[in-house]
Amino acid sequence: MTEKSILFDSTKCIACRACQVACKQWNELPGEETNNRGSYENPSDLSSNTWLKIRIIETEKQGMPNWTFSRQACMHCTDAACVKVCPTKALYHNELGMVSYDKDLCSGCGYCVDACPFHVPRSNRNLITGMAKMDKCTMCTSPGVDRIAAGYEPACVKTCPPYALKFGDRDQLVPEGTKRVQALKSQGYTNAYLYGEKELDGLHVLYVLDNSPSVYGLPVNPQVPVITTAWKGVIQPLGWVLGGLTIVGLGLNYMVARQAKIARELHAEKEN
Amino acid sequence: MEQEVERYRKPTRILHWVNVGAFTVLFLTGLVLFIPPLGFLAQGGWTRLLHRIAAVIFIVAPLIYIPLNWKATLSGIKDAFTWGAEDIGWLVAAPRYYFLCDEECMPPQEHMNTGQKMWWLMVIVFGMVFVITGLIMWVFKEIAPTALLQWVVLIHDIAFIATGSMFFVHIYLSVVHPLMRPLRTGAWSSMARGKVSVEYARSHHAKWYNRIARVDKVEEEVRSR
Repeated sequence: MTEKSILFDSTKCIACRACQVACKQWNELPGEETNNRGSYENPSDLSSNTWLKIRIIETEKQGMPNWTFSRQACMHCTDAACVKVCPTKALYHNELGMVSYDKDLCSGCGYCVDACPFHVPRSNRNLITGMAKMDKCTMCTSPGVDRIAAGYEPACVKTCPPYALKFGDRDQLVPEGTKRVQALKSQGYTNAYLYGEKELDGLHVLYVLDNSPSVYGLPVNPQVPVITTAWKGVIQPLGWVLGGLTIVGLGLNYMVARQAKIARELHAEKEN
Repeated sequence: MEQEVERYRKPTRILHWVNVGAFTVLFLTGLVLFIPPLGFLAQGGWTRLLHRIAAVIFIVAPLIYIPLNWKATLSGIKDAFTWGAEDIGWLVAAPRYYFLCDEECMPPQEHMNTGQKMWWLMVIVFGMVFVITGLIMWVFKEIAPTALLQWVVLIHDIAFIATGSMFFVHIYLSVVHPLMRPLRTGAWSSMARGKVSVEYARSHHAKWYNRIARVDKVEEEVRSR
């Protein structure tokens, strides 16, 4: 099946946050207490009940205040750290390239929460028992309320008034984003960039940015953390080998030592 | 009846077996996150709840033991950090002893032989590592920096690999190795009943036996006066 993607054009986003509301509505997520921190950005962070939010970054441009809007939600990476670290295979890639998860299988270990280079997955955790469940954007593929399987676009895309969000085949959205970036460059936005085309072997949320990713609070050249790679790729296999060799070694010792003991006992009997 | 000497007092034996139980649960509920084909056993998270219940026992048991048995605690810790020439002798003789079952080749050993001492030292050091890294994951999961938490998982895993492998070695050398059969004598007897025969103590822990035998003699003399 062709891979699907969302194309987010930050230059068209007006931070109305209708997407945030649509996301909550479709996925039946409770609202959160907001607070005044001197910013229109609310709630202050993603949570297990807030899978999508618009980040509002205030900067100065030629002496004038300048607003930069960025989208914060699962990037649906191809090289996804969360899928790598999940011990119960609750997190997986679906056939459309999105990072899906089966909540019933989630053990609540939280490895994905710590490994994600975008700090997207979140869990609600009981501090005493440690019981937890991870949640994040499913690109509206949650079982039972799967908009994509029904032939619709994700709720956030459907609702976006300025058409800053678009849903479609990834191999069509990449050229479209590239074209848009080139147009921005020709208008003088020399740092314009299509984020997600190559990052982590390709994200399934593409960002048209009029400036470098760092301005948008996005990691430049995001990577699966080195510790994650070292842990899953080196330490764990080393553990399997060491554990296996120990058991094999003990088995060999048993066979050798048993023979030696029997030989000694026979020898002792003969001498008596 | 055969003469016997005491190797482990009852509180020490209880602590040992309580921690055996807790560690076994901790080991198995950790293993399911460590070997991908077993991952399905952790689905839903019930193994993580068991892991925490066992962790509480693992932490609380020594905390009860230590103040009630502080003398044994201190001498036990001292033993773990006392290393000498006879330990080299043990290491040199170990292959011959454990593969060829040559019981004559081993230099005289203290209350704990070098192998037991290595395991005991591992239990102390990695026990602390487990508890510290485990508590960080339990209590500070929501507030600690994610990079720190990833390091903590890595360190917890390294401690798991080290102690998990040696856990098998410990069980094997205590109750499975041909020299440990039948179970009536030796390590099993020390930890199950707390006592071993004088003959076993003399042949396997000569330095220790000579020490306590001498003390007994002196006490006898003092009493007879």
